[in-house]
Amino acid sequence: MTANDEEMELKDRLSLIENMIAEGRRTTESWAWTFVFWGLAYYVAIAWTVWDQWPWAWLVTMASAWVLCWAIIRRKHKNQPEPKPATTIGRAIFSVWAAMGVSLALLLPALGLSGRFSQHVFVAIVCAMLGVANGASGMIIRWKAQIASAFVWWAATVAACFGSDDQCTAVFLVAIFFCQIVFGIYGMVCEARLRRQRGAIHA
Amino acid sequence: MPELPELNPVIHGKLRLALLSLLIGVEEAEFTWLRSKTGSTDGNLGAQLLKLEEAGYVTVEKKFVQRKPQTLYRMTEAGRQALTEYVQALKQLLGGAIGG
Repeated sequence: MTANDEEMELKDRLSLIENMIAEGRRTTESWAWTFVFWGLAYYVAIAWTVWDQWPWAWLVTMASAWVLCWAIIRRKHKNQPEPKPATTIGRAIFSVWAAMGVSLALLLPALGLSGRFSQHVFVAIVCAMLGVANGASGMIIRWKAQIASAFVWWAATVAACFGSDDQCTAVFLVAIFFCQIVFGIYGMVCEARLRRQRGAIHA
Repeated sequence: MPELPELNPVIHGKLRLALLSLLIGVEEAEFTWLRSKTGSTDGNLGAQLLKLEEAGYVTVEKKFVQRKPQTLYRMTEAGRQALTEYVQALKQLLGGAIGG
């Protein structure tokens, strides 16, 4: 073996370590679809609220979306050939989103029941919470696209505090489109690309 | 000139190196997950994991979940330390090779 071959071999080992560490840490579950799913759920809730003017349309849509999302995840797990291992990063991301979900599930109905609910406050709170969850997740996994998504949510949070009700709704619709639908589809493309990049390692 | 380090022969095997690198990023991993990530055969994977277990770099736990056998592997502190030292040695060797 020449010195050059030896160097190549060592570099190959180093690259193998880097790839495997990244592979192990990567949350290999497919989560990008949930962004699209929740984006559509928000649109359904907004449409229902606008057309029917029923104050509990959001709560009913969100609760139904939770049940449906949970059922899909459960079904996906059941059909998996081998369960994915738990990672500290995965648990950190799950914690951020779960805490956000609990906060919204408590705060928004409480605002409605107390009579202190307003469209501007509602949009600002939801956008801020989604900004926090996306920002934290993006920083944990160092994913620039998700951090960019968080900035869009934060911009929407500020914008929701100003202007008319219609402008507030428009801001929310645009933020949902970019941060849920477009970002979700982009995430699905990235996940599909990752799934194709797998090879075999032999002793 | 400083002496170049020796590479740990237990870790140097490509599959064992891949296994330790995978395990360092997770809390624990099932045999089937390791197999799918490495694309290795059951026999080869089992043999390499046994070597890592004998070296004290991984621990194994066998249990039944919903009446199905499950074999879980975890990296030990010794394994973590050994992989870190291996990477340092590799980088030092590469530095030496690049430096001539």
